[in-house]
Amino acid sequence: DSYGMFVEMDKMDGEMDVQIKKKKKIKKKERLENMKKEMDIDDHEITIEELEMKYTTSVTKGLTTNMAQQVLERDGPNELKPPKGTPEYVKFARQLAGGLQCLMWLYLAITLIAVVVQALVIRDGQKNQINANMLVVGDLVEIKGGDRVPADIRIISAQGCKTRSPECTHENPLETRNIAFFSTTCLEGVATGVIINTGDRTIIGRIASLASGVGNEKTPIAIEIEHFVDIIAGLAIFFGFTFFVVAMFIGYAFLEAMIFFMAIVVAYVPEGLLATVTVCLSLTAKRLARKNCVVKNLEAVETLGSTSVICSDKTGTLTQNRMTVAHLWFDNMIHAADTTEDQSGQSFDQSSETWRALARVAGLCNRAIFKPGQDTVPIPKTLSRYLAKADRQPQPKMAQLGLIYLLVMKGAPERILERCSTILIKGQELPLDEQWKEAFQTAYMDLGGLGERVLGFCHIYLNEKEYPRGYRFDTDEMNFPTSGLCFAGLISMIDPPRATVPDAVMKCRTAGIRVVMVTGDHPITAKAIAANVGIISEGSETVEDIANRLRIPVEQVNKRDARACVINGGQLKDMSSDELDENLRCHPEMVFARTSPQQKLIIVESCQRLGSIVAVTGDGVNDSPALKKADIGIAMGIAGSDAAKNAADMILLDDNFASIVTGVEQGRLIFDNLKKSIAYTLTKNIPELTPYLIYITVSVPLPLGCITILFIELATDIFPSVSLAYEKAESDIMHLKPRNPRKDRLVNEALAVYSYFQIGAIQSFAGFTDYFTAMAQEGWFPLLCVGLRSQWEDVHLQDLQDSYGQEWTFSQRLYQEYTCYTVFFVSIEICQISDVLIRKTRRLSVFQQGFFRNKVLVTAIVFQLCLGNLLCYCPGMPNIFNFMPIR
Amino acid sequence: MFVLTMYVMLLTLDDYKPTYQDRLATPGMMIRPKGNALEISYNSEDTESWDLYVQALDNFLAPYNESQQIMNNKDCTPNTYFIQEDAGEIRNNPKRSCQFNRTVLGNCSGINDRYYGYPDGQPCVLIKLNRVIGMLPGKDDQSPYVTCGAKVNYSQPLVAVKFLNVTYNADINVECKINSLAIANPTSDRDKFAGRVSFKLRINKN
Repeated sequence: DSYGMFVEMDKMDGEMDVQIKKKKKIKKKERLENMKKEMDIDDHEITIEELEMKYTTSVTKGLTTNMAQQVLERDGPNELKPPKGTPEYVKFARQLAGGLQCLMWLYLAITLIAVVVQALVIRDGQKNQINANMLVVGDLVEIKGGDRVPADIRIISAQGCKTRSPECTHENPLETRNIAFFSTTCLEGVATGVIINTGDRTIIGRIASLASGVGNEKTPIAIEIEHFVDIIAGLAIFFGFTFFVVAMFIGYAFLEAMIFFMAIVVAYVPEGLLATVTVCLSLTAKRLARKNCVVKNLEAVETLGSTSVICSDKTGTLTQNRMTVAHLWFDNMIHAADTTEDQSGQSFDQSSETWRALARVAGLCNRAIFKPGQDTVPIPKTLSRYLAKADRQPQPKMAQLGLIYLLVMKGAPERILERCSTILIKGQELPLDEQWKEAFQTAYMDLGGLGERVLGFCHIYLNEKEYPRGYRFDTDEMNFPTSGLCFAGLISMIDPPRATVPDAVMKCRTAGIRVVMVTGDHPITAKAIAANVGIISEGSETVEDIANRLRIPVEQVNKRDARACVINGGQLKDMSSDELDENLRCHPEMVFARTSPQQKLIIVESCQRLGSIVAVTGDGVNDSPALKKADIGIAMGIAGSDAAKNAADMILLDDNFASIVTGVEQGRLIFDNLKKSIAYTLTKNIPELTPYLIYITVSVPLPLGCITILFIELATDIFPSVSLAYEKAESDIMHLKPRNPRKDRLVNEALAVYSYFQIGAIQSFAGFTDYFTAMAQEGWFPLLCVGLRSQWEDVHLQDLQDSYGQEWTFSQRLYQEYTCYTVFFVSIEICQISDVLIRKTRRLSVFQQGFFRNKVLVTAIVFQLCLGNLLCYCPGMPNIFNFMPIR
Repeated sequence: MFVLTMYVMLLTLDDYKPTYQDRLATPGMMIRPKGNALEISYNSEDTESWDLYVQALDNFLAPYNESQQIMNNKDCTPNTYFIQEDAGEIRNNPKRSCQFNRTVLGNCSGINDRYYGYPDGQPCVLIKLNRVIGMLPGKDDQSPYVTCGAKVNYSQPLVAVKFLNVTYNADINVECKINSLAIANPTSDRDKFAGRVSFKLRINKN
């Protein structure tokens, strides 16, 4: 069973037999596949008797204690398994091994605090208060206002019970009123119900375990660095082995040759690289934070840059997440309202009498309140904003207008129309004949077609005699007219797109990034918004549109003609993954509507199968599996739930889609700059390695010491390589296609060869020229140096003759060697300064880019020079760090 | 390219005098016979144990024979530097050095005592100063030497130390130091061989 499997999964982290591991993996995969399938719950449809049968329980007495015990043993406790995480000690060990990322130590501080929830359960006909984790399927429980629903419950009887709409259901196909979901809160009332699911099998539990079961994808930069490490490791071992063979051939002892081998491999490792990459990424993360993107995982910065598909949520991300009046229909005309966030746009003509009546009805028929400080906002404007979330059930309402009463009503347009006999046109009440009804229908269809929620409004002045002042209206008994009303007009509302979104979507398009909308909303609304923000571009048609235009059946339309495609959850359910891939391939503009969390995950996987780097935005608990599966999960900071934020790699503080575009830009920039940084860092590896190679093969005194190498790697060269991260973009990076993760590597062979064998070689030659000059000027001619090593390093040889016949003690030779280190160091430094200028640009010339535009880089060069001078000329350096003052 | 730069670099070098002598401010000192790790250890009754040292000294002193010295070197005035300046463009090369006869070493010259006193437990140890071009060591009452230009046949001046009264079967640590005004006196310097030399002497006797 699934609990057992969880235990097994936990163990998987431990060292287990590979074979067992494989088996587990298959099992795990199966389980995940199961999770992804839609849940089939029929508990809300069957009768209570059937329910009793199914769970062998009684709706009056509950389970017997024995039975409950058995079920508990079978199913395990009613609690969510904490996400399958790496055990803390393993993380700790990894951190120790990984070094550098001290930040991750914070992980250790994070522990789960479990809160014990009590639940009132009826067993053996007795009411008991037990811990919620002891509940089992079939238990009869009572919940009352303020309680947390302890499991998924089929409500049997209820009195005014309201639960807070759980985060998972607004996009869940399971739309029913007699099921209360685990982890929601009962707001008021009392209810009794039978538990139908416990623990991880509850809807929330499934989503949570789906999220934890979905493996975190490796970030592209992690893949790149791995690839790069492969290259480096390969070259290091190749070099090491070659020189091992050479050393053996020359006649070194095996052990000595082995030491050489190790030394070469170690010398080849670019020590400063990790620091550089981390610092570059942190810098960008900091820059992004200023632009409202908080990056949780450093590597995500770059991932954003390589993103090729963004699966975006609609509500809150693309839209403002508030219903706003978009259109009005009165006087037989559709008027467009201003939907901008700050009401700065053009409004419609408000001079008509009908508008005044309509505005009055609308104003009276809503529960909007003025927020503090909004007192001065003109009412029509506020009004148009706060009609939100109106009930579609007709709601009559009374208002006193001087001496007479006015009955106002709003509701679903067709229901309102049924009760009307007249219509208000230009302030005149006209009889509602067939012609007007048709006009109404057309307007209603039009507005509905725009994906907007339409409400009808009507009113009637009540006769003063029949309904005098103080008349008691009773909405239950309806002691007032509910027909023969006067129709005032239609108001349609929509959650309008954010002002910055269409522009951002356009930018994504030019940047070669596809924006796919995945929403739980209705297809028509989804399509309308998609068209509005440019996800479906102007002129693009769906298969259905083409069919409509050509007046042919949908089946006859060539799918490839349709650029756009709207798929709803129901269709998706019946699609195989191949079909989905095919759809994603042939329609560049996709909208998924009415999707469930599982389907969101399927969509993400499909995109990834097609080789895209997928960014997913989301806010709810239900989004967390997809957020985790995505290459980069982006959670909303304002609307986002904690589960979503946990699963995400990045958090948008302002919930704004446009921020993602900024992120993409920064991500691309950092990839470019990292490439420069890495090229810069790599180059000096060769001049660091060759001295050792020459030392081994030609047996000259060692030209460059270990400490000196470390100084180059970790002191003088760090700042310039980091300063490259401040480099401005060379061209408009947002006009390029996203990089192809398979072709555009961070480090490719061309770059490695150029760094190593061209610049690296030049630097080596420069170093050796200086080395031999320094030696020769002190009396050691190059030819004498060759083969000198064993004598040079002989501690007891205190009178070694140089080319002039002068005799040197060992210590004198050692300081001469230090001088050589320093000379070599300085050569590399000087070469690296020119190297940083070479690396500054990849496409343009340095002059086009500007020498001094990157102030940090200039500072870095100055810093490098100063540090170099300090190392060379500071007293005491020869004995501490083996640096000698040079002439 | 590299070869070219190397060639140009070599052209700038002087054939007879190094461009810089930064490391050689204090000349090193060394002993003969050198022994293993500057340790002279032998058994006075065991011929084979000291024979090596005697041979080493013989070889070392061979160039100091009177005949050789007269042939190659000039007899200079004691207590003055023998400086051979270049006359403008005409380089005064190869330079000659002063004579240093083996006979100066007296008992340690190996002429009177073929075995340098080794079998008697009174071994001779020669101390030499490392050759450094252009060094003016200053006057020293014991060492009437002068340095001069580099010569193939240059033989350094020597000081001989004869241990007359050595405790047998014990390690004796000997440190010899050069006393001179011109040569910076190395006190706490890391180089144990700059202007001084330490060695260990042990003579066993059954």
